[in-house]
Amino acid sequence: MTGENELDPVIHAPARLRVVVTLATLRDGDNLSFTRLQELLELTPGNLITHLRKLENAGYVTTVKSGRGVTSRTSVSLSPQGRKAFDNYTAVLRQLLDSASTNGTSPH
Amino acid sequence: MLEDQDMSVQEAAAVMQDARTRARKELVVATPLVYTAWGLVWLIGYGAMWLSVRGQHPYTGPSGISIAAVFVLAGFAVAAVLVIASKAAAGIDGQSVRHRRIIGSTWATGYLILLIVAPAISNSASTRTLAFISFAGPVVLVGLTYILAAALGRYRPPFALGAWLVIAGTSCAWLGPAIILATCALAGGGAFLLMAAIETRLRAHDR
Repeated sequence: MTGENELDPVIHAPARLRVVVTLATLRDGDNLSFTRLQELLELTPGNLITHLRKLENAGYVTTVKSGRGVTSRTSVSLSPQGRKAFDNYTAVLRQLLDSASTNGTSPH
Repeated sequence: MLEDQDMSVQEAAAVMQDARTRARKELVVATPLVYTAWGLVWLIGYGAMWLSVRGQHPYTGPSGISIAAVFVLAGFAVAAVLVIASKAAAGIDGQSVRHRRIIGSTWATGYLILLIVAPAISNSASTRTLAFISFAGPVVLVGLTYILAAALGRYRPPFALGAWLVIAGTSCAWLGPAIILATCALAGGGAFLLMAAIETRLRAHDR
């Protein structure tokens, strides 16, 4: 996680932001299959794996593999730490948008 | 899409809004539609039965056509709810799936009990008792199911609906058969339609 007023670089990338937003929509204790997540985000499997790995390394996402062969399933969920990081990201983003609209500037 | 593509704050807000809208559309059950379906079934179904018994002296029960209409409407509502729920549940596993199983089996068991008890006591019970069990029983049962769903999902609006249905259904114990049907149509069906409007507003506000 980053400082109070900085956008978390782990989340602040279009694809990862979409992954986190999608997983944050789930209720606590729920997970989403890799296939469904891929379908929703319209990403290639390789691309999604790369982003998930970054999020997983930061402790924001948990992936669990279950079953074997055709019944195998990879479940993806947002960890409590990931949910907290996303809440913080949303709050910082809102602050930056507010200050940008007050100052009439376009922050990066 | 580039892996670590730089984006401005405005772009991030747009990406977030777009992803949130899509995720909610695809992964969250469209409860306003569910409430509307059941609201119409109860309003039209109970309403049709009430119209068929209004003015009956002595009371002989709802007409066969109105009872058949209830079953047809309920069949459509069940099918619609199953389609809506299974679309939203695709790919999701975990606690909410277990909760849905508990809620579904509670509701089904309750209905089964009502379907067994009503015919079993039909010869010995009074018309009023039978009307209460057959017409208000499902309202109380659905109310209790919504209270259970609210407790499991820690979400208040279904609790309010459930509590209202339990109160409305229980109050039918003091009413005659025709008024029970009118109460179920208006207080039951009306409550579902009101909940549909409230949920729609809450969701629009949440965006």
